Amino acid sequence: MKRSERAALWFVLPSVFLVGLFSIYPILESARLSFYRMILMLPWLGDKYVGLENYRDLATDPVALDSLAVTLVFVGASAALEVLVGLGMALLLNESFRCRGLARAAVLVPWAIPTVVSSQMWRYIFNDRYGLFNFLLFGRATERYLAPLADARLAPAAIIFADVWKTSSFAALIILAGLQTIPDELYEAADVDGATAWQKFRRVTLPLVKPALLLALLFRTIDSFKVFDLVFVMTQGGPADATNVLQFYGYKKIFAEGMIGYGSAIAVGVFCFSLVLSFLYIRLIGASVLEKGAAR
Amino acid sequence: MRPLLALLLLALAVSHSARAAEIRFVTWRETQGFMEHLIRDFEAENPDLKIVRDIGPHSSTEFHDLVAQKFKNHDREMDVFFMDVIWPAEFASAGWALPLDRFFPAAEQKEFLPAAIRANRYSGAIYGVPLFVDAGLLYYRSDLLRRYGLKPPRTWPELVEQAKTIIAGEKTPGLVGFSGQFKQYEGLVCNMMEYILSNNGALWDEARLAGSLSSGAAEEAVRFVRDRIVGEISQRGVLAYQEPESLALFTEGRAVFHRNWPYAWEEANDAQKSKVAGKVGMTPLPAFLGGKSAGALGGWQLGISRFSRRPELAWRFIAFMTREETQKRIALWTGRGVAREKIYRDAEVLAKYPQFRTQFEISTAAVPRPPTPVYVPLSNIMQRYFSAAVSARDSDIDRLARHADRDMDRVLDLLRGRAAR
Repeated sequence: MKRSERAALWFVLPSVFLVGLFSIYPILESARLSFYRMILMLPWLGDKYVGLENYRDLATDPVALDSLAVTLVFVGASAALEVLVGLGMALLLNESFRCRGLARAAVLVPWAIPTVVSSQMWRYIFNDRYGLFNFLLFGRATERYLAPLADARLAPAAIIFADVWKTSSFAALIILAGLQTIPDELYEAADVDGATAWQKFRRVTLPLVKPALLLALLFRTIDSFKVFDLVFVMTQGGPADATNVLQFYGYKKIFAEGMIGYGSAIAVGVFCFSLVLSFLYIRLIGASVLEKGAAR
Repeated sequence: MRPLLALLLLALAVSHSARAAEIRFVTWRETQGFMEHLIRDFEAENPDLKIVRDIGPHSSTEFHDLVAQKFKNHDREMDVFFMDVIWPAEFASAGWALPLDRFFPAAEQKEFLPAAIRANRYSGAIYGVPLFVDAGLLYYRSDLLRRYGLKPPRTWPELVEQAKTIIAGEKTPGLVGFSGQFKQYEGLVCNMMEYILSNNGALWDEARLAGSLSSGAAEEAVRFVRDRIVGEISQRGVLAYQEPESLALFTEGRAVFHRNWPYAWEEANDAQKSKVAGKVGMTPLPAFLGGKSAGALGGWQLGISRFSRRPELAWRFIAFMTREETQKRIALWTGRGVAREKIYRDAEVLAKYPQFRTQFEISTAAVPRPPTPVYVPLSNIMQRYFSAAVSARDSDIDRLARHADRDMDRVLDLLRGRAAR
């Protein structure tokens, strides 16, 4: 082993240790627990190895399947909206104007607020008696006030909205970095050719920013698959399971019902879903980056 | 000289507060202000103890998850905690709540409402001391009933007929017959249980450990709620109501009948908050023909954590909170139903709250939800079933009930190991 390699090893070691302790170990432990029947409230049953029983139950549990659908709608809608809004924000922030530095910093504020805090804020905003949401819509006509978080159709939309508000700026940040790698000469050449602003966006910006868009989409998809805090604070999975996302369902199984084994199986299911998604995206992004390299 | 004296006093104060042992009390936020007063009085009486309040969420379900999580972590920072009436069996079975028999002997238990004591017992031991006792009951508009020469209904069909008579006669736009709690949450189980039990049905068969919601009596009661209570004399909004929303409808004068807990009496008769103050009556919930009125038992108990380092000191706080004098003060202060029977016969309390006479009858007859360590999973199954059954006009009740039974059978099966041992 070369000296520099040995030195590198020492630098990597602390991270390997931390990732192992706080990520790998809990994942393996959840996987192990998911093969057991383990119920906190019934300690006399002991921990019984049941093989794949929890997973078989999961596949036929109508609540879990509903919950999967709720999660997929949330992931699809929020990730897509976040990348779109993020793209808009990035395009704006990429233009030069006065106080651009300030605007770039300001955009990051929602992202920097802990989710639990911003969820609490949105819970107040959507309150059916004193919420700002109702005041903006109906003013003083309090008899028309809605209770979005108590309505099975509005509650998922409210949660998606809160997520888009909070994390679009993260997507914007990645996309902005992508925009800045586009050389100015390309736009100058387009100007010489007499391209319109739309044509420049469509033919120059979009193709070149595609890897950044995909990267933003990857991060947002995986991250929104793990949604928990928003639901925990804003709706507790209600009304009538309309926002019962998988992570929250797993949490309820473990902490409210004490079903450690079954809850772990749900957690592992979410983990596998994210894993598969990541692989798909990475292949997609890898391919598009290669394409770009070949074109040069 | 003076600074020295001040320093000495400070040192004394510090050493004193260092000696006062802390009792951690996990509770919910209480808005009437009595808790603060009682804690101050307790500390004055027990200078060696200091109560530190740990305030949890208001919703019972979220409070449960918080307390359960503390137990799961073997949290030593929780000594005394509040328990909803449905939790003692679960916390006892999990080995989280301390059995209190050595502090709370049978003779003393006799002073409390028997239904509340039953809810705190699990396999032969007692795990909580009841503080508040609630029971589902029926409020009605005494002025409207009088105007139509009606007596408070004894049966559910009678309630529906009376409501229809009054609505047809009054012609007030927006007036509905009934408001209760039909949102998908624990309160829905309480409401539905009151119909099912008063039709001689059961939530599940406790002896055979099997679901019984697809029995004829239970399905008939659920169908009645869907077609007549929700379908005929309520507005669709009740499907999203918990207690506060349903009470608001009643206090605005927009409902003839209202199902709620005893606390609603004071609010409904408070002229500041209610348009129907002085026009409200209270009576046991109706039953079906051949059945018995069955108000759900609710309420809050105090328990001691198994992981507490100082259960003896914690007990002193519980003893203070539940002794006769304190219970009387709480009753006088809040008008809420307390757990000691004697308070309901106290002249001073009755002078201030004449409704305590009726409330006592109703609380004595109240029925607890069956105590079991697996209550939470069973309740989740029931909540889904009841909500699906009553919210759609054409729900297939029989199919839904059989599904619920099958799911409940699986959970109840887990208890068989215990029986065999």
